Amino acid sequence: MTTRREFIQTLGATGAALAGLSACGGGGGTSGGGGLPAPSPTPAAPILVIVNIDGGYDWLNVTPPNAGANLGVYQTKRATLGITDPALLTDLGSGMALNKDLIGMDALHAQGRVAWIPGIGMPNPNLSHFTTIDLWGQGAAVPAGTGWLGRFADTAFSPTGDVLRGITVTADLPVMLKGSGRTFVAITSAGGYVFPAYLLSTSAVPDAALLETGWASALSAGSTDVGYLAGAQAGRLFHDAQNNPAFGTGGSLTTRTPTVPYPGDATYPVLKLNNTALSSSLSSQLKLIAQMISAGLPGQVYFARLGGWDTHSNQAVDHPNLQRALGGAIKAFYDDLASITTSAGLAQDRVLILAYSEFGRRVQENNGGTDHGTAGLSFCVGKAVKGGLYGGYPDLTSLDANGNMKYTNDFRGLYATVLERWLGQTTAATDTLLGASYPRLGFL
Amino acid sequence: MADLTAISTWTLADAQHFGRRAGFGLTPAEAAALQAQLPGAAIDAWIDGTGPAYDTTAFTAALATADVVAEPLVSASTTVAGSVDVPAVPAPHPFLVQGAEAWRNNLNTAQALLAWRMQHNPHAFEERMALFWHNLFATGWHKVNNAALMLKQFQLLRSQGLAKFDDLLVAISKDPAMLLWLDSVLNNASGTNVPNENYAREVMELYSLGADNGYNQTDITQLAKALSGWSFTYAEADYIKNPANPNLKFPADARFKVYDGTAIAPDTRLWWSGVATASSSMHATGTISLFGQTLDVTTTANGWAKGENAIRSIVSLRGSNCAQFLARRLLTHFVTTGFSAQDLADVAALIQAAGFDLRAALKTLLKSQYFFSAANRHALIEGPVSWTVRAARMLCPSLSAASAQTPRGYPAWRLVTNSATTFDEAGMKVLDPSGPNGWKEHTAWLNSNTMRYRAKLAAALTLNETRTYNSVVYPLFPAAITVDWFPTAPTSPQAVYDRLVVLLQPAPIPATVSSAWLAALWPAAFTWDTAAQTKARELAFLILCSPSGQLY
Repeated sequence: MTTRREFIQTLGATGAALAGLSACGGGGGTSGGGGLPAPSPTPAAPILVIVNIDGGYDWLNVTPPNAGANLGVYQTKRATLGITDPALLTDLGSGMALNKDLIGMDALHAQGRVAWIPGIGMPNPNLSHFTTIDLWGQGAAVPAGTGWLGRFADTAFSPTGDVLRGITVTADLPVMLKGSGRTFVAITSAGGYVFPAYLLSTSAVPDAALLETGWASALSAGSTDVGYLAGAQAGRLFHDAQNNPAFGTGGSLTTRTPTVPYPGDATYPVLKLNNTALSSSLSSQLKLIAQMISAGLPGQVYFARLGGWDTHSNQAVDHPNLQRALGGAIKAFYDDLASITTSAGLAQDRVLILAYSEFGRRVQENNGGTDHGTAGLSFCVGKAVKGGLYGGYPDLTSLDANGNMKYTNDFRGLYATVLERWLGQTTAATDTLLGASYPRLGFL
Repeated sequence: MADLTAISTWTLADAQHFGRRAGFGLTPAEAAALQAQLPGAAIDAWIDGTGPAYDTTAFTAALATADVVAEPLVSASTTVAGSVDVPAVPAPHPFLVQGAEAWRNNLNTAQALLAWRMQHNPHAFEERMALFWHNLFATGWHKVNNAALMLKQFQLLRSQGLAKFDDLLVAISKDPAMLLWLDSVLNNASGTNVPNENYAREVMELYSLGADNGYNQTDITQLAKALSGWSFTYAEADYIKNPANPNLKFPADARFKVYDGTAIAPDTRLWWSGVATASSSMHATGTISLFGQTLDVTTTANGWAKGENAIRSIVSLRGSNCAQFLARRLLTHFVTTGFSAQDLADVAALIQAAGFDLRAALKTLLKSQYFFSAANRHALIEGPVSWTVRAARMLCPSLSAASAQTPRGYPAWRLVTNSATTFDEAGMKVLDPSGPNGWKEHTAWLNSNTMRYRAKLAAALTLNETRTYNSVVYPLFPAAITVDWFPTAPTSPQAVYDRLVVLLQPAPIPATVSSAWLAALWPAAFTWDTAAQTKARELAFLILCSPSGQLY
């Protein structure tokens, strides 16, 4: 198995390749003179890409403390799993370092394109994945079942059109994307999107157009049965999405070859600790989103997910591998976007990536893993991002009664920032969507 | 309030409602036979599986020789001594992931086996309950990485799905797949070691009480101590080697063991395959405080395992919370999501009064006026596995008729489950949920992607789709339309429609929709010829895909 130091040496050996990835980014600016390049202005047609780090990631090992009292606590409570070797870390300042396993984020940080938001969380967390995922999804002062992006869609999208304006590339539909009047469309593949096909062939079903009769009349009949309406809405979304001209002959998006290697690709220079290929799960999803953007789909908000972060055990192996897949995929995607020109400009100028997880993990490690905790780390990546640290790193000398961190940033402040300064909502509309006014963060 | 008194008579529609919810649907003949009996006795027999209608002899025999698609051949390793080509397995053959075939560790085949069982098991209720418990005690192959152990867990859900809930909770806590799934095998609380909380949290949050319902973080850490060292062992004979590469082997079975430093004989291997004569010392010593009570975690009184008293305390000390949790899940799966707080309390009270005897509680619930009330008909969206299986039961030939055909007239479930991970895309990757919370039900089953795959499945179910594999042409869902669907020739488009509605039992379809379908499919005079039979298949497809076709 590759040791951590050997991995860093590998990174050095493949430095040329990774530098190439950075160059592809085409950020244009350099940090000449020591200052960071200024962020780009907010684009006219912004795109938001949500990356859900599912399972509650141990961000304390992603951006560990590297100075002061926090470092002392960390060294004590993370005696086995802690990442303290400076060779494995990039200093971010303010007593916070970046684990080099989060591949590519150090390069993007150096370009000033990453906003780090440590200590993000909510009042009275109950340490449950599912409760917390639900609350993060709803993003409301008073949660009432709909998601913050679903409510955005309710107000911003056309009630009967805009089918492809909100897309998840997961097979499920997270609560975050459910509005009261409409939901996002779920599209997991670029091909075979013919209206309805057989199971094992892409031949279209004869008379399938009659299906539309059932789905359309269900919606127009004014039924109040929620189950009936759910079926009709899901069917109509599928039908209308397929009817978009972007899904051309044969029901497939125009094929596209990424311009950079992604984690999991044979040509990607970094592997797992055991020298096998990294997970391609997030890579595949982000490649599909790049393909959709390139094909001209009118997506404004996309949702992707990388699971596996519930590292109760085997963290020393799983966590580095996951970080590489996560950081590497985001960096590859960011770089890949530089080669996509859309009708509304360079894709890289249009995209903001928002990564979040439902919670961080317990400061005290168990035997080989970490249990559920509270405050997390979100980060945003984009050309328009003013890089740096936002909000305070939790005080590890002042933990709660269960040994967990106290949050320093309300997650709804992140949403408010993105709604108002990226998705173009007015201050009043933003506050209405979230049910209260939350302090904005300064990265946009 | 929920009227839990039993019905005394029932109609054909009542029997069909019962069959959809408590099984995977009834054909018109089956419904008529059931309805001819008094509901009380009929439902008891349905649940208990007693009587000739539920005799599994022929099913078990057919299962052992089920004509499913052959696994790919496996060529011998060129580097490992003793390797041999795995020969073509002559059809008919069993589903190849258990016992001597455990080395195959194939998720899709295991899924096919489950679907086949659900479709053909005459005692449908045990499969329905197992599916219910699989969603509640959701365990995933991607971490367990052993299809045989996953199926062993499913068999536990079948065999104990109507036990007392505290016994079931103990049994699932000791199940090898579960012990791997939520890290019980890595929970070491000996000495000053910090326990792994994963199972202790989820067993209360997801498997018995519900979030924030009767426990706190201290209870989690205390329960984790009590359950430390819960693990399992293997005997050498449990390992099944891959003949094509004997270095690759999978255990077909395993046995629960508390790792407290004691001997593991006659077994010889620990859960991670290490050879040993004794288990590691991982179990805590002393007492814990759980729900305000002090428990000795080293006692083996009552024949219980060390720490088992703590699991049982969830039910004995938090009974009302547990009953409420179970009531919510049972109502959501079997009855309606539209229950009131009083309905929930009534069913919870029923469970507590039954002493958590699931068989007794289910019998009362499924005979009740509440279950049969008009408001609860077609009030739930059916999950995709159940939806597919039920359509197959209605449209495909019976077990005995299918057994006589060549190739056998069973659905080629192995191709269905292997195709683009169909059940996964349809929203229920059975045997492999992404997390321990399983799948949300009712409206959460449907989104544009799952409807896309339901439409694909509907096409396969109704339109006679075939696939050639190893030179054999397999109909995915074989059905002879003039035999299986229309034993009596219909004389009009409306008669075609009426018969398909009787078979597929959708929620009421608006007349404007059905009349538009019929007018488009049969614009001219009706003749029951081959062309009309093809149109009848398309009409079945439309019914299955309609909003009404998702409700059951």
